[in-house]
Amino acid sequence: MLKMNQINKVFRTEVVETHALRNFSLHVQEGEFVTITGPSGCGKTTFLNLAGLLETFTSGQYVLDGEDVSRLGDYQRAKVRNEKIGFIFQSFNLMPDLNLFDNVDVPLRYRGMRAAERKLRIEKALDSVGLLSRKNHLPSQLSGGQQQRVAIARALVGEPRFLLADEPTGNLDSNTASGVMELLHEINAAGTTIIMVTHDPSLATQSHRNVHILDGQVQSDNTNHVKAA
Amino acid sequence: MFLYYIRLSLLSYKRNPVLSSLMVLAIAIGVGAYMVIFTLNYVMGGDPIPHKSSQLYHVQFDYGDPAFTDFEPPPQLTYIDATALLQATVEHPRSASSKFVAVLEPPGEELRPFYVNGRGNAADFFPMFDIPFQYGGGWDRRADDTQQLVVVLSNELNERLFGGANSVGQTIVMDGLNFTVSGVLDRWSPAPKYFDVNNGAFDPMEEAYIPWSLIVGQEMRRSGNTNCWKAFEGNSFQAFLNAECAWIQFWVELNTADEHAEYLNFINNYAAEQKQLGRMPMQIEKRLYDVNEWMILNEVQPDETRILTALAAMLLAVCLLNTVGLLLSKFLGKSSEIGVRLALGAHKRSLFTQHVIEAGVIGALGGILGLGVAALGLEGIRILLGDMMTNDWMQLDLRVTFITILLAIVSTILAGMYPIWRACNINPASHLKTQ
Repeated sequence: MLKMNQINKVFRTEVVETHALRNFSLHVQEGEFVTITGPSGCGKTTFLNLAGLLETFTSGQYVLDGEDVSRLGDYQRAKVRNEKIGFIFQSFNLMPDLNLFDNVDVPLRYRGMRAAERKLRIEKALDSVGLLSRKNHLPSQLSGGQQQRVAIARALVGEPRFLLADEPTGNLDSNTASGVMELLHEINAAGTTIIMVTHDPSLATQSHRNVHILDGQVQSDNTNHVKAA
Repeated sequence: MFLYYIRLSLLSYKRNPVLSSLMVLAIAIGVGAYMVIFTLNYVMGGDPIPHKSSQLYHVQFDYGDPAFTDFEPPPQLTYIDATALLQATVEHPRSASSKFVAVLEPPGEELRPFYVNGRGNAADFFPMFDIPFQYGGGWDRRADDTQQLVVVLSNELNERLFGGANSVGQTIVMDGLNFTVSGVLDRWSPAPKYFDVNNGAFDPMEEAYIPWSLIVGQEMRRSGNTNCWKAFEGNSFQAFLNAECAWIQFWVELNTADEHAEYLNFINNYAAEQKQLGRMPMQIEKRLYDVNEWMILNEVQPDETRILTALAAMLLAVCLLNTVGLLLSKFLGKSSEIGVRLALGAHKRSLFTQHVIEAGVIGALGGILGLGVAALGLEGIRILLGDMMTNDWMQLDLRVTFITILLAIVSTILAGMYPIWRACNINPASHLKTQ
């Protein structure tokens, strides 16, 4: 599903070079739920940005869903992001002046889908996170947990092959966080591959695998014995 | 997607109403001011009769006194030459014309006598210049020859005298003479007043039109410019008519190149003949001018309007520069949204289009407000110039309205290019964590 081989990412300024990832290799199988942990500045977010084709890397190879995406142009990368990848962010990143329906609609707009099909998909996605009845509300009218559910619905509406989640429970209290985790497990159980960056060790144990990164390299890659819920 | 982008633009406006309104205001002021000057230029420099301007010719002769080196040949004709041309030009529509002023005694007792500005012209004047009639019509050449007391009233004078009713056949008294109304003009105010640029190219239209032969035959009080370059021989009206004084405009309609060549040959021969008789001592290069050439020769569009245009363009540029800064602030403030859209699969081209449309919407709103600014500016000019100009001319017509909106949209989009380019080329990754 996702194969990164010997990926290097160097950030350069006029005076300094920072190696965010060094010879980073990771293989994720289809249907896996992988958590990425590590201290701040270790390269977790850089990995997630590269995996989501939001940034380019300096060297190495990246194969996603059987396609070498290392040298894709802007347009092709946007297309891959739109069709194969779903993003969930720590701060939800909903658009404040769009209602829930329109927020979830955003990725479909760039797919050139017909209005009727978009409506069906949006309502299904909102229903799956239990917020269909509030589709005309603005994000500011929802709690943090509900906003993250909308963000998950937006990530799922395009039926992506895998989800990239960047500390999706980081801004939530423990009860709400556990509800969001349950939802992610359900999504994973339905066949969507999930890669989740987290600081929370307890969440890391709930996935199939936990990859620990240190100084831009995979320090450990452990299979969890606790089955994902 | 177009409607989607329009909707996003309006939502974006609502999100930053103060910043967006400042941009709209800046564009409105810049575009509005520019359109005021554009309208002035449009009025002063436009072709007032585009379908016929290359067929109507004004005649100029080699008048003047060689002793005065800075003496420009006057643009009008003397009575001797105007009469000669009128008599010789039979096969082409032609007209001599000049202004007069008279005291009009209104019918009934409600109105007191008042002065009217009138024009004496030949019968062909009306069809030559495509002058529209509300009632009746002009007169024929026989009326010119026999000095019939007929009059054509302007729409406004007819309104004043007869309440706008059909007054054809009615009698009015001017300078003690009974004139029969043969027609009433429809609203007509060409800009510039190309058939008489020598007497105020933007002066109001005359109120009454009578056969030109009456100006002489009844010794009506002439008004308008008179240029003389030789002393009169005597004090009588006849002495004035025989003098080297130019006070008559002479137009002829020539519809083909052959007609033009033939007529030019005729007036060249006429001028040569007059020179042999000791008249027309100057030498001019051109004796026939079409409408547009005539307006250029007489500098209908003053240099000041070009300076004003440059100033207005500079003001527009300053307003647009201001808009560049405001748009930059607005669009860079949307970096997080742009980052999210990129992450969700938007291509840079889509985002570019979205923001071009957003700039276009701001421009359109600025254009609509700019129309108001332009209307206020034109009203100011109308108040400033008062009776010096005909009110009808300084208006925002459909063409000016369209150009205003288009100018606002295009200039705002151009001003938005750099901010849009900057906004669409952000690194999305660096903005997704920070929202």
